[in-house]
Amino acid sequence: MAKGRMQLFGEKIFEEFKKCGITHIVWLPCFQLGFIYDVMMKQSEIELVPVCREGEGVAVAAGLALGGKKPIVLYQNTGIYESGDSMRMVTFELHVPLLIMLGYRGWKGTDSAGVVMEPTMDAWQVNYHVMKSVEDVGMISLADKEAQEARKPVAILVVGEEP
Amino acid sequence: MIESMDAVKVISEHRGEALIIAEMTPGTELPIVTTRPELDLPFNWAAMGKSSSVGLGLALARPDRKVFVMDGDGSLLNNLGILMTVGNAAPRNFVHFLFDNGVYRCTGGQRLPKVGGVDFSALALEAGYASIHKFSDVATLEKSIDSVISEAGPTFVHLKIVPGAGPNYPYVRVSDCVDAFREALAKS
Repeated sequence: MAKGRMQLFGEKIFEEFKKCGITHIVWLPCFQLGFIYDVMMKQSEIELVPVCREGEGVAVAAGLALGGKKPIVLYQNTGIYESGDSMRMVTFELHVPLLIMLGYRGWKGTDSAGVVMEPTMDAWQVNYHVMKSVEDVGMISLADKEAQEARKPVAILVVGEEP
Repeated sequence: MIESMDAVKVISEHRGEALIIAEMTPGTELPIVTTRPELDLPFNWAAMGKSSSVGLGLALARPDRKVFVMDGDGSLLNNLGILMTVGNAAPRNFVHFLFDNGVYRCTGGQRLPKVGGVDFSALALEAGYASIHKFSDVATLEKSIDSVISEAGPTFVHLKIVPGAGPNYPYVRVSDCVDAFREALAKS
């Protein structure tokens, strides 16, 4: 049976993670990123670190990065708003390069999580890119380069599956 | 009960090569008595309870190094889920010191929104920490600390600390320490 469009998208994103040398995925469940999680749960090359809340996970990822590893955090945007104090700490106190991948719930402006997403990233001074299809997966390497050079978080907002 | 500074001093003197990530009151005291400033991240007011999370990340990244977290009870309430996350990740090199004084000392000693009977040690045990220790006098802490920190973790060390506002120590900004910390860690 031919692979579905979202399955292929998930696999390509994962290939890009490996290309960037990602060592750990710090994560919470997200409906929009479900197609990535299907791939994530079947692999063993990248270590998984489940956390209880988004701000906690950003700080765990910062510790991993300070210790010489290369984490990415995977969340839904609905929860990322809780992580403001961790984002401030990582950006302005620890100066840690960090990739953040967020399911972009409500990206068409259909709910409040989407409406305040990009203004929040702007307020936190976190650069972001919006990924809409498999053709965009090269954004991950670009965002990684940008994060490493700036020594700060860079976000990739993924338009995935809407509930 | 133990004076916070006395506990910080004992832990620092017995640390060996351990990394210390400290928050709020112990975070302001550590720079004064530390034996290895290049291996410290004193967060003071910068972390809002997340120093334990940074410590967990470091412990997972560097299983060859002991990682000590000096947490406050108010800080732990800011980030209570970390107990479950640590229990799940189960890093053997992670020692979580809780400075339990019942108040927000750094902001003037306001009482925590916690009913007196809540037992942080019991929460840590239920969350999956491998061992739990409780100390309410500094002599016993000093006598036991080498054995406690040599256990396979995650270890939770609950310290009953004297409440009160406490002195205001000079503010050391973590951003001024992080480059030396990163460099020291990369070398060893």
